[in-house]
Amino acid sequence: MSRRKPGTLLPLETEILETALSMRHSEQASFHGFGLAQSMREQTGSRSLTGHGTLYKALSRLEEFGMLTSRWEDAAAAVGRPRRRLYELTGQGARAAEQALADTADHAGGRFPRVASEPA
Amino acid sequence: MKPERVAKLVARWVRLYTRGLPAPTARRRIDEIDADLHDHIAHERSQGTSDRRIGLGIASRMARGLAADASWRGQRAKATTAYRSAVCVAIATAFFLFWLVGAVGLIGTEGDRADMMYGGVLAVGILGAIVARFQPRGTARAFGMARVLVAMALVQALIAVIALIAGKHEAAVTSVAELVGLNAMFVALFAGSAWLFRHAARKHAPADAKPRD
Repeated sequence: MSRRKPGTLLPLETEILETALSMRHSEQASFHGFGLAQSMREQTGSRSLTGHGTLYKALSRLEEFGMLTSRWEDAAAAVGRPRRRLYELTGQGARAAEQALADTADHAGGRFPRVASEPA
Repeated sequence: MKPERVAKLVARWVRLYTRGLPAPTARRRIDEIDADLHDHIAHERSQGTSDRRIGLGIASRMARGLAADASWRGQRAKATTAYRSAVCVAIATAFFLFWLVGAVGLIGTEGDRADMMYGGVLAVGILGAIVARFQPRGTARAFGMARVLVAMALVQALIAVIALIAGKHEAAVTSVAELVGLNAMFVALFAGSAWLFRHAARKHAPADAKPRD
C-alpha cells in the first residue's frame, strides 16, 4: 500500500478524481463504486478491477477531504437490485483533478497534486 | 465456482471487519459492497463471462483489498474510541459541575445566586451539541463538538473572572485559590474533552485536508 505524504493525494485517489472528471465531461455527473472501477479499468487498460477495500477506502478519504459528495440512490430507481451509493465530484475535487491532469501533461507523471496549499 | 457463493464470502468478510463499528458506518460499507457485488455479477454475465471467471474476479478483488479493509477498520475504530471518550469526559464533567453547584456551590456562600451563571455552561453545551448533530458527516460533527467544548471551557473561565470582579472571593467560605482552582479544573476537563473530539476528527481527515468544500 502507498504511504501518504502530508498534503498529497495517493496515486489511486488522483486516478479516481481524473476518472470522475472524465465521466462528468461525458455527462455522467454521478457514479457508483462498480461503475467507477469499470471506467478506471477501461482508462488504464488494466485487466483487473480495483480491490473492494482499496476502492471504497479511497472513496471515503476523498469524501472526507471534501472532493466528493455521496448519497444513496432513490429506492424507486433500484428495482430488483441493492441501492447504489452515488458519488459526485465537488468543485474542489474537479480542481484537483484538473491540476493533476495539468501536472501529468507538464511533467509526464511522477508528481502528486497537493490537497492543501500548506504541508502539515 | 458460482459467483453468488464468492459474493456471499465477501459479504461475510465485510460483516466481520465492520463488527463493533458505529451502526451507520458499518451499514453503509455493507450495503455499498452488496450493491457492487450485484453490479459486478450482472455486468460480467451480460458480457457472457463464465461463472468461474466472474467468481475468480470477485475473489481477487476481495484479496487485493484486504490490507485496505484492515487499515480502514483500524482508523474507524480509533476515531470511535476517541469520540466515545470525549463524550464520556464531557458528560461526566457537566454532571460533576452541577452536582457541586447543587450540593455546596462554587461561588460565595451556599445558595449564592451567582452559581446560576453555571447554567450558561450547560446551555452552551446543549445548544452546541444540537447544532453539531446536524452536521452531515462524522468528521464535521467531531470538529463541531470540539468547538462546543472549547466554548463551554471559555464560558466556565468567564464565570470565574466575573465572580472575581464581583468580589465573591471575599466571602468567608470562598478564597481566590478555591474559586480559581475549581474553575480551572473544569476548564481543563472541558478543554480535554475538546481535544479528544478534535483527535477523533483528525483520525478521519488529515490535518492539512479541508474537511468540507
